[in-house]
Amino acid sequence: MIPDMSQVGKPTDDAWAPVPEAPHVMLEGVTKVYGQVIGLNDVSLAVKGGVTGILGMNGAGKSTLFKLIVGRLKASQGTVRLFGTDPWKNPAPYARVGYVSESEQLYDWMTGLDFVTTLARLFGYTRDEAKERALHVLDFVGLADVVNKQIGKYSKGMRQRVKIAHALVNDPDLIILDEPLAGCDPLARTTVMNVVRELGAMGKTVLVSSHILNEIERITEQIIILHNGRLLALGNLHAIRELLDQHPHRILLRTDNPRKLGTAFLPHSDVYGVRFPKPDELVIETNNLSSVHKALPEICIASGVRVTAIENPDDNLESLLGYLMEGRS
Amino acid sequence: MIPEQPPDTPMPDALEMQLADARPRFEEAAAQEPAAQAPTGRIGQMQAQAAQALRPLTNTVWSKLDRKATAIAEFTLRQYRTKSSTWVVLGIGLMFVTMVMLFYAEAMATGFDSYDNDGDSEDWDGDGYPTGQERRYGTSPWNADDHPDPETVPPDPASVWINEDPLDFDGDFRNSNQGFDDDGDCTGEGWSDPNSPELPSRNDRNGDGHPCNVYYRMNSTTGMVYSVNGDPNVDEDPDESVFLKEALHRSFLLGFGKVGFTFLLGVFLPLFLATGLVRDEMERGTMHYLLGKPIARAEVLTYRLLGYVTLTWPYVTGLVIITAIVSGLLAPSDGFYRWQDLPLWLGVLVASWMVLLAYGAVFSVCGIISPKYGVFIAIGLGVWEFLMAMVSLADPTFPLTYLSISHWGIEIINCAALLAYPDFIWMIQVAEFHGFGADIALQVFWSPPSAVPGSALASMVVALFVLTLYTVFALFIGQAMFKRRELD
Repeated sequence: MIPDMSQVGKPTDDAWAPVPEAPHVMLEGVTKVYGQVIGLNDVSLAVKGGVTGILGMNGAGKSTLFKLIVGRLKASQGTVRLFGTDPWKNPAPYARVGYVSESEQLYDWMTGLDFVTTLARLFGYTRDEAKERALHVLDFVGLADVVNKQIGKYSKGMRQRVKIAHALVNDPDLIILDEPLAGCDPLARTTVMNVVRELGAMGKTVLVSSHILNEIERITEQIIILHNGRLLALGNLHAIRELLDQHPHRILLRTDNPRKLGTAFLPHSDVYGVRFPKPDELVIETNNLSSVHKALPEICIASGVRVTAIENPDDNLESLLGYLMEGRS
Repeated sequence: MIPEQPPDTPMPDALEMQLADARPRFEEAAAQEPAAQAPTGRIGQMQAQAAQALRPLTNTVWSKLDRKATAIAEFTLRQYRTKSSTWVVLGIGLMFVTMVMLFYAEAMATGFDSYDNDGDSEDWDGDGYPTGQERRYGTSPWNADDHPDPETVPPDPASVWINEDPLDFDGDFRNSNQGFDDDGDCTGEGWSDPNSPELPSRNDRNGDGHPCNVYYRMNSTTGMVYSVNGDPNVDEDPDESVFLKEALHRSFLLGFGKVGFTFLLGVFLPLFLATGLVRDEMERGTMHYLLGKPIARAEVLTYRLLGYVTLTWPYVTGLVIITAIVSGLLAPSDGFYRWQDLPLWLGVLVASWMVLLAYGAVFSVCGIISPKYGVFIAIGLGVWEFLMAMVSLADPTFPLTYLSISHWGIEIINCAALLAYPDFIWMIQVAEFHGFGADIALQVFWSPPSAVPGSALASMVVALFVLTLYTVFALFIGQAMFKRRELD
């Protein structure tokens, strides 16, 4: 057999031709095993259109899921379809995909422009086309000023953005971002989030993973939750949140007079307990988070106590997962 | 809703709905796809053909390939530039060649002494006439009073009778009748007494029917000379310094071409520059930048190798040109520069290219086979190649050497040497015949073509083909393994 050089952006077989109508990503009963460890366990999902957040703790299988979708890994069981074809066997659909890996590694010796241009040429663009597209996407992610600077001299947020730029250079229909906010400072975080939201608004299908609930919440409502390699939940974040609100919840208030404030909260029908973990802290225990949040400002003002901070200690992924797991078992 | 699901539910509702919604659309589209592409009737076919023919040139497979190929090759080259190891390896190669050239220059400048093989430059009786001259004029070399008349025949200086009968060979191996008695001490030509008792009584001692000649016996198919048998006093006093210098020069060309360029540079450059072509990218976790594109992994491997070749071929070409210029100026020659060596240098160049390519492919595949131990596999192969190169130098017909890359590189140089200098076989035999000792150096560094005995050109074609085959085979294995490699 001759090496399959003919795969120049083309499928080797008609059966592998990307199907325009197919869901961009479809997984059916996909399991990925690394030796003794199960990376992904019997996951099925289909995605087409919109921004979808993939939520999960470290090791939940988010990166494994993405690597399977972009053909970096081969599924141990089940079928993975990218635009209707098997990404492990067929590089043709990559022409419509932009993938930002979690890896921090870049070619530090290249300038941002070189990096994006060189990789753009692998899509079959001419040198000029590639450069034009590279300048365009680098501008889109806000790196227009530093295109001729070496990547090694970029800040962490710039590095993340140059990775996103490289993934956008082929004007993909599907964009996969693996932990794009990891290690970004607040400013870069906002920029990246804006870019992702903008991509969603442009009608692209975007898959973005994170282990921080708040980040995903600011980007999208459509989420997939992975836990220990299993698909735990899929749907609208608000629906899940509302569900959570009806579970026991805590609100932490920092104040100079916690006892007085606590007494003021106790008459509220949804508050079933108050605690004072520290001399300047008040914890309110409730079954209905939103109704307490609504009443909170009024009660605080009425009591005349100064409140310096309000926190929801349960408003994070661990507690969300905990509740979801509780519901299942 | 979701939390309340029974634990044995395989998927959440929303997902099931989504899948149920998506699957028919996907299957329907897949079923429709080929039908939509099929041309309808004859006109449709013709339209499709016309569209194919009128496709703009910028969209041909070649130009697409060219974009990807040059992008990766260029990228690889620039990556080499940023690595200090590249500069160290290339620098050491240059130093190595410079040092060998200095040794060569030293040897060429020193030269060799000629000596009087037949002893006829001596004046035994002390009358001022050397023995050779006395014999020619029929006077006794042992009697001081018996010598030619100084009035008519002045005594020759002794040097005239050293190197007075050089080797005569017309270059035609089909002609077994060679050699010429330049000083007349076999034929008696130019002597005052053609029947002098000093002349040999049997002047056709080799029995080939020609008096006073040198008889060459050779294999009619291979053209190999396997014996040189001279009549007495024919070609008996050649100029050793010229012969030895020539033999040394040729031995140097062959030895340096084979061991220096084809073997040492041919193995060490790819060992340092090709082993990491794929492996380093996988180890660093940057391979997905290249592979997450609509490009086959076989292409990535091939184009990376193309980048490696774009670095190493011009480099080794430069070194060969420098060596060819320096040695051509220092070597014994009739003119300013020794042009006769050029075909041999061309052979060295082609051999180096092919060997660099083949080793590059093999070593880069070692890196794919085992990212962790690939270097050790490559070093092991290098040792095996070294052993095979040594065996091939001694006996290129030893079958095991056919499996090695170095053997075929050496074969190309043997062929080029014979094309440049058809008298190699003659030189080795003559050196042996006269006991110069130069035959040892020549025999170590040159062997007749072994792939197709008797034809240097055919042997060279075979060697080039085998090395190409090696490269293609290595790439085939490499891409097959690369395709199955998961990128963590």
